[in-house]
Amino acid sequence: MQLNLILLLGALLFSAGLFVVLTKKNAIMVLIGIELMLNAANLNLVAFSRFDPQALQGQIFSLFVITLAAAEAAIALAIVVKVYRYFNTTDLDQINELKG
Amino acid sequence: MMDLLEAISPQISPYTLWVLVLICLPLVSFISALVFKKNAPTLTTFITGLNLFVAIYLSFLFWNEPVLIRGNWFQIGETHLTYSFYIDRIALIMGVVVNFVALLVHVFSTEYMRIDNRKNAYFAYLGLFLFSMMGIILFNDLLFIFIFWELVGFCSYLLIGFWFEKKSASIAANKAFILNRIGDLGFITGLMILFTQFNTLDLSAIKSFMALSEIEDGNWVVTFSQNGSETINRLDGRWLSAAGIALFCGAVGKSAQFPLQIWLPDAMEGPTPVSALIHAATMVAAGVFFLGRIFVILDAQALEVVAIVGAVTAFMAAIAALSQFDIKKVLAYSTISQLGYMVLAMGVGAYSAGLFHLITHAFFKAGLFLSAGIIIHQLHHLESEKHKFDPQDMRVMGGLRKKMPWTFFAFTLCALALAGLPGFSGFLSKDAILLNLAVWSDIKGGGFYIPEVLAFMTVVLTAFYTFRMMFLVFYGEFRLEGITGDLNLGKKLKEGNLWLTIPAVIFAILSISFVFGTTLNAEDTWVLKSISTPIYIVPIAYAAQSLVDVPHETFEALHATVNTVSILLALAGLVIAYMSYKPGAKLERQFIERREPIGVLGQVSFYHWYQNSLYEKIILRGILSLSKRVAWFDQHVIDGIVNGISKLTVVLAYLVKWFDLYVIDGMVNLTASTVGKVGQMTRNMQSGNVQTQILITFVFIITLILLLVL
Repeated sequence: MQLNLILLLGALLFSAGLFVVLTKKNAIMVLIGIELMLNAANLNLVAFSRFDPQALQGQIFSLFVITLAAAEAAIALAIVVKVYRYFNTTDLDQINELKG
Repeated sequence: MMDLLEAISPQISPYTLWVLVLICLPLVSFISALVFKKNAPTLTTFITGLNLFVAIYLSFLFWNEPVLIRGNWFQIGETHLTYSFYIDRIALIMGVVVNFVALLVHVFSTEYMRIDNRKNAYFAYLGLFLFSMMGIILFNDLLFIFIFWELVGFCSYLLIGFWFEKKSASIAANKAFILNRIGDLGFITGLMILFTQFNTLDLSAIKSFMALSEIEDGNWVVTFSQNGSETINRLDGRWLSAAGIALFCGAVGKSAQFPLQIWLPDAMEGPTPVSALIHAATMVAAGVFFLGRIFVILDAQALEVVAIVGAVTAFMAAIAALSQFDIKKVLAYSTISQLGYMVLAMGVGAYSAGLFHLITHAFFKAGLFLSAGIIIHQLHHLESEKHKFDPQDMRVMGGLRKKMPWTFFAFTLCALALAGLPGFSGFLSKDAILLNLAVWSDIKGGGFYIPEVLAFMTVVLTAFYTFRMMFLVFYGEFRLEGITGDLNLGKKLKEGNLWLTIPAVIFAILSISFVFGTTLNAEDTWVLKSISTPIYIVPIAYAAQSLVDVPHETFEALHATVNTVSILLALAGLVIAYMSYKPGAKLERQFIERREPIGVLGQVSFYHWYQNSLYEKIILRGILSLSKRVAWFDQHVIDGIVNGISKLTVVLAYLVKWFDLYVIDGMVNLTASTVGKVGQMTRNMQSGNVQTQILITFVFIITLILLLVL
């Protein structure tokens, strides 16, 4: 299998994640987008590792990323819950306390 | 050639501590009087008594061997300042006399000031005075003598103005202080001249250098080594005389000599025991004592000035004493007159005679003042709302002989001593002075007979005013009854109690000549035997003819004449006083009605040669107009300049303000508003929307990556 195809898939997946992050109003959906982007990065790591003759650095690194993603999801969801309790909404357009 | 550092090298004595005790005990008395307010009289009297014993103890120690104690005080560069004590016979005698008089005055004051509210301050001042006086007597360093000299002046100021609520008392205190300052100006000048020439103020070192100094071509030259190198100090020879005269100016102020003597009569505003202690017996004699200290470094011209001033003062004051109404004023003028005798004695070179008169005068004048104090104190008790009178005025006295026998006894003995009648101490010392004066006049000749004539005339005058006072106060009728119309006043008048009479009587007994020797010849008294006149050590060309070098026969030849003449003159004074002021005499009867003396001579006498008015009219007016002009100059010129400068500053400040407001602030505001505007322009980026921010971040990262890659 060609590396280019896999990288293309990764790019598509990343773009999809980014699109979700930028367009969805619900914070949970934004989190889902972030997960997609992380997985796109994992895909790239694994793909590069496939063509690396010496070691399994890419796979190992992606395992770390997966672990990290799980932790991030847990914390982020907790934050979302807190945000919801505080603002009574998860609509990101309405949560604009930092407006200058 | 002498080394300077050697001349002022420290000298140690095992008895230094005793000397310090003698000086500092009165200071303890001063402090204790301030701390223990209620017991001040008892405590200070006790401490003064203790100090008297210290003085007597030291006299036994040092009588035959004068001791010099010296130490380094501090050093600035090459200049060494020392402190030193010199305890010789005259210091010891003075120490005992001063402490003794002070002790009796303390005792007297205990009763005299019993009802005064501020008596603890009074006793404190006495302690401070005694401290300062002991400093003058014991220190041998001119700088220290000067410091204590100022201190006694200050104490005198405090005590003259003790009843400062009386306007006249505070003015008198100021007058005494200011006139003393004028004298002290001379003192400082003298110190400066001596320091310039000798580089030290230690009196013993000055004396040893003075003995080595020479006159070369009219220059006064002294050579000494310092740090191995030779120093030659050269001044015009006239500075030698100037130094002596300048130092004498200090004594003129302190000892109330012409032309600064007018403070002493006014000083009688102070309490009478103070007049006895400070303004009769001790402080005013400090000037004479100081002349004794510097006696050997006075040159012929300075001594002539001293003698003439002394004679003039003695005569002027004796004239002034003739017509006073106030008993204390008579005593004050008589004090000035007697101080004139002492200064005259110093001037003619009769060192020991002058100091002898100082001692005898201290006793009989203190006795007179204390007796007068008793009279004033007792008359003061008669004063009431109904009868207001001046208890010091002799017009209200008279006939006190029977009412106050002890006071009469004390007063009479002291008065006889003052008049100089044989058998009393004043006769001996005055005789010694007159004899030396006669010899001096014979040596000098010419115009120098004038002091002799003045001095002998003063003898008559002294006897006259003394007995005038006696007759007016103690004989005849008690005039107060007649003045007030209350005939019971005489019965109410009592003798003072023992606190008052005992000190006065002790002084009276000390005024009898046997205290000083059972002789009518001053030469044979123990004082003159123990104090010998030193020889002048100024360069020969400037030195006066010393009376020590005059053969004894010259004195012998004149002695009988001088003795007889002075006794006859004193008796003449007594007779004249009796004729004019005996009870019932014409003058005595007129006396009570008189407001001021009649005739030109009477006026001149009563107003003390108009010296006071002269100063007020000419010098005081001159000073006042000068100060007015200076004030005008200050107000118009100096203030004008100051105001101009301030106005200029204000104008400048306005300019600076404008610059600050428009230029500096403009720049600051420009910066701030620019930053603000930029902020306004960019604030839209901070929408607060997370997704927008992520988008912007993303775009920037992509741009960054693209920039890095491409």
